[in-house]
Amino acid sequence: MMRFKAKPVMKGVAEGEAIVSRMPISFTGGMDPDTGNIREPGHDLEGQSVAGKILVFPTGKGSTTGSWQYYAAFKRGNAPKGIINVSAEGVVAVSAIITSTPMVHELEKDPLACIETGDYVKIDADNGIVEIEKKT
Amino acid sequence: MELNEEEQRMLDGKQGSGVQKAMEILVAYGDCYGAHRMIPVTSVHMAGNFPVLMDEGIEWLEDLAGDGTKVAVFTTKNPEMFDFEQAEELRIPTIYQIRQQRIHEALKALGLTLTYSCHHYLVGNVPRFGDHIAWASSGSQVFANSVIGARSNRDGDHVALAAAITGVIPEWGMHLDENRRAGMIVDVAQLPLETYGPADYKALGWHLGKLVGTHIPAVLNLPRDIHIEGIKGLLYTLTVTGAAGLVHLVGITPEAPTLEAVFPGPHPAPPDIVPSQKDVDKAFLEISSSSEDKIDMVIFGCPQCSIQEVQEIAALLDGKKVHPDTKLWICTSRWVKTLCERMGLLERIMASGSRLLCDMGAADGPHLYLREQGVRVIAINSARGSYYAHNLFGMDTWFGSTEDCIRSAVSGKWEGRK
Repeated sequence: MMRFKAKPVMKGVAEGEAIVSRMPISFTGGMDPDTGNIREPGHDLEGQSVAGKILVFPTGKGSTTGSWQYYAAFKRGNAPKGIINVSAEGVVAVSAIITSTPMVHELEKDPLACIETGDYVKIDADNGIVEIEKKT
Repeated sequence: MELNEEEQRMLDGKQGSGVQKAMEILVAYGDCYGAHRMIPVTSVHMAGNFPVLMDEGIEWLEDLAGDGTKVAVFTTKNPEMFDFEQAEELRIPTIYQIRQQRIHEALKALGLTLTYSCHHYLVGNVPRFGDHIAWASSGSQVFANSVIGARSNRDGDHVALAAAITGVIPEWGMHLDENRRAGMIVDVAQLPLETYGPADYKALGWHLGKLVGTHIPAVLNLPRDIHIEGIKGLLYTLTVTGAAGLVHLVGITPEAPTLEAVFPGPHPAPPDIVPSQKDVDKAFLEISSSSEDKIDMVIFGCPQCSIQEVQEIAALLDGKKVHPDTKLWICTSRWVKTLCERMGLLERIMASGSRLLCDMGAADGPHLYLREQGVRVIAINSARGSYYAHNLFGMDTWFGSTEDCIRSAVSGKWEGRK
């Protein structure tokens, strides 16, 4: 098991299977609130659902209305359980705050290098810790 | 980020859960951008409507209002989706009316000033030079930064509302002097600006936006007597094809009396961009997305028409009749509509077969239901409106001057450039 320090954005604890993207995500237009599917053409997660997962990606992008879209996805049960960003920006951070979704960024190791889709990840944003159990 | 005693009390929930949630939003937002402290805001503007908020977002606002939360700062609201007083005549579906009414009630309870206008700076929301503000709409944000010299980042609705509730915002980006300097120089001296009307400035903005991206441009050699509609046309279009939050119009922008005042370094570099009339002509044609001559509708008001624009449109319509197969809509604020009634403009507009609508704009709202009612090809004098109507709602659009659009409304087919 690997254990890294991270900077909390939204407190709380979440654990589950990781889904990892190497591309920024826009919640407006880029994620379907009815399914949690990433729907941006050409995105490396296109057609995959982030619902109930620990979503790992570099940062957010796109319209500031994204926090409304994310909130709707959350209320419909289609949002991730937790978020790990390389470096957080405003839309994703606000989305995590209004849905009380545990979120961290600025890990001591690059999360895109040490987490793969399918790994079991625990975010403890109360203590600023991420634990990674590699898939077997 | 360091909070003062009052801000810490808000974060600790001593002033209620709504204020606490607002401060949590601002702290997380500020931390993302390395802000060191909060600063007071004097003015807030909120944007979202029901297609953006969705039912869950409406509930979020209702929950916030239900807790007794109130805004602490003067806060105005962008246009709604339709004119509530004409809802039946316009055949607005009941579900839309219910959603708009719920948002209205929640915002009223929160204490917002319900302008339903995107020219809020013409109807009472007027910050001063140097004020820190939170305006959640990209067009008026760049107007505030570039024409008024007030300071706003491109904040979303949640951040803007949180600022309105707490009275503060994290200090980063456009709030700081060092981030307001120009990063590139545009020289428009080669263009025949003495012949330019608002539509030409919109075409220029369309061209420049694609080249400046997120940089802050300093624009040299604009005429000192450029009309405010020309400035609005340039700025509101530049933020459609580009993402600059501030444009230094040298000699016009309060912070930019000279190039040296905003361009770092003792010797400003030669211009990065020197647009030619050929570039602007190309952009003018690019804004249109239609290829069909017959038009279903002419629509004005993105941003909402000022009283001067309505006066111009009314004068152009005098003695003319809109083609029976074509609609002509003029979208504005309730204030301007009141003036139109008082001045007899409304009667003149209606005599031509046109309609004046308030509390809505021409960019997105109406296209939601017009499309369902069979409107497909529109003519518009706004490049921004053309872009949103086409890209968000699939309308086929023709872009031209106000005169082009009026001539087209009369003949029922596109009479402008193509």
